[in-house]
Amino acid sequence: MRRRNVLAGLGALIAAAAGGVAWKFHFFGKHYPPTPYDDLLNQIADREPAIVFGQAAGKSMPRAGALAAQLRRDGRTLSVRAAMEPGEAQISEVAGWVVPQSVALYAALAAQA
Amino acid sequence: MSAFLDARTLPRETILSPDLAIIGGGPAGISLALAMADSGQNVLLLEAGALAFEAGAQKLYQGSESGVAYTALDGGRLRFLGGSTNHWGGWCRPLDKIDFDSRDGVPHSGWPFARSEIEPYFARAQSLVEAGPWIYDGADHSVSDSGSLLRLGPGGVYTSWFQFSKTQGGILPTHFGERYQNDLKRAPHITPLLNANVTGIKLSGDASHVDHLDIVTLSGNRLTVKPRYTVLAAGAIENARLLLASNDVMAAGVGNGNDVVGRFFADHPIPRNVATLVLFDGRVAPFYSNFLTLPNGAVLRAVLSPREEFLRAHGVAGSLSTVENEIKLDPLAIAAVETTAGALGVDASGAKAFSLGCGMELAPDPERRVTLGQERDALGLPQPNLHMTITDDDFSHFRQTLAELGRQLLAAKSGMIHLSYSQRHDWLAAMDWGNHHLGTTRMSADPRQGVVDAASKVHGVANLYVAGGSVFPTYGSSNPTLNLVALTLRLADRLKKVMA
Repeated sequence: MRRRNVLAGLGALIAAAAGGVAWKFHFFGKHYPPTPYDDLLNQIADREPAIVFGQAAGKSMPRAGALAAQLRRDGRTLSVRAAMEPGEAQISEVAGWVVPQSVALYAALAAQA
Repeated sequence: MSAFLDARTLPRETILSPDLAIIGGGPAGISLALAMADSGQNVLLLEAGALAFEAGAQKLYQGSESGVAYTALDGGRLRFLGGSTNHWGGWCRPLDKIDFDSRDGVPHSGWPFARSEIEPYFARAQSLVEAGPWIYDGADHSVSDSGSLLRLGPGGVYTSWFQFSKTQGGILPTHFGERYQNDLKRAPHITPLLNANVTGIKLSGDASHVDHLDIVTLSGNRLTVKPRYTVLAAGAIENARLLLASNDVMAAGVGNGNDVVGRFFADHPIPRNVATLVLFDGRVAPFYSNFLTLPNGAVLRAVLSPREEFLRAHGVAGSLSTVENEIKLDPLAIAAVETTAGALGVDASGAKAFSLGCGMELAPDPERRVTLGQERDALGLPQPNLHMTITDDDFSHFRQTLAELGRQLLAAKSGMIHLSYSQRHDWLAAMDWGNHHLGTTRMSADPRQGVVDAASKVHGVANLYVAGGSVFPTYGSSNPTLNLVALTLRLADRLKKVMA
């Protein structure tokens, strides 16, 4: 095996490992300051659009603390709720958008957090 | 063969005595005349216009309006042979069963018979409107090569189908005047009379039957028609206007002893861009937004309609939604889509958005009505006034149906919907109309509730019938032409029996 190939292989391994670590710890992602609601907010796939959408919910939504308490009381995750709610007619309208109720609540929480 | 006659060139004060006079040469009048061709009865088809558009004749359609802004009365109809088929879009779909039913929560709804009563006439009507083989909601099984139906979760909205009128050579759609001119000429017992404006339906002294019709031309000629039977088929505005203006024996107008003539005018509001449909995978079959021509010649388009159970459960009126153009989403819309798709665990990187159009049924409203105005036309007949209404419930009911569609898209994880309007002024700003004039001589077994009975005969007048959309009490979201032709063919069968 030639020395050049070994070095190239090692370099690739290091780069892959570094990428994995960066991905794991969100080195290149958006950072948010910690909030008391991170257990809920971390369930949102991408908080940026959720914040934008949540702002449209406006004043019709409860404040963050009440929202969080309501969501925790339910116990189910966002993805579970969002998948089930349309079938259960648990639907909200936010700025004209028809969405699962939980999507509106989580987005509002993201906007307020 | 009977050539077309011109009322302007007949000797003044001529008296014609046909077995049957048909007032109006639109789809109802022409269908009726053709259906009566083998009856042995002499049929006089009175067309107020000529074979083609003439501005002077069209001007006789002018009138005034009040209430909600509506199409000018000389703008939504055409006064020459073929009538409004000279500018129709060719959309065809039979009325649904529920359209005939009296519905809880929808006052004044329902026909005096079930859909089964006109079903035997649909095949011939389909042939007359030249909409090809009868497919409609059977199309679900015929279009798999052309794309998939929208994925919707269980619920109140489904994909339904329209077919399209298509005359020979693939031209859309069939103009009845042009298409059936030669058939009318060839029929030995049919005499089409052009430029024959009926200005009075004159009853006998005891108001029991029609004695004669006054005919006047724009050139000043006057004729009299003394038919055994008369069918009024001049469209919902003219039918009401003529009955109301013929008030020398019955002061309120012919058939108007209970003040129903002209009331319950209806149309399909078609407000634009009522919603935005987002499909997460960006794929919509082309038959939702364009014509699909099948190998057998049928031309179809898919729409989204509320199911009968949904209409009943929610007390909403009929409607349809059409997929129109692809549109771009603004930042808030993109945020809504990304947030929702993310929560559902769906990849929306290829999402596309489309505007939705619609057609709505209005709940029956006796105050939405045609009356006689103050102005008179060139023939001395009072012009009509249309008072147009549309209620907040009409809008909110349709909005409810759109929201149901949105719910079903989410349930299937296939897409989502944005409702464009929530305020009345927004709906009205986007308003357009189908110009499907209906309802002014509505059908009811009860003379206090309707102008004509279940046989389309004017209550209390022995030999006067009405054909066309003006007899529809409720009308769903289906375009009227196919249905009014079917209903007219039923009337022809009835007339053949009573006139024999």
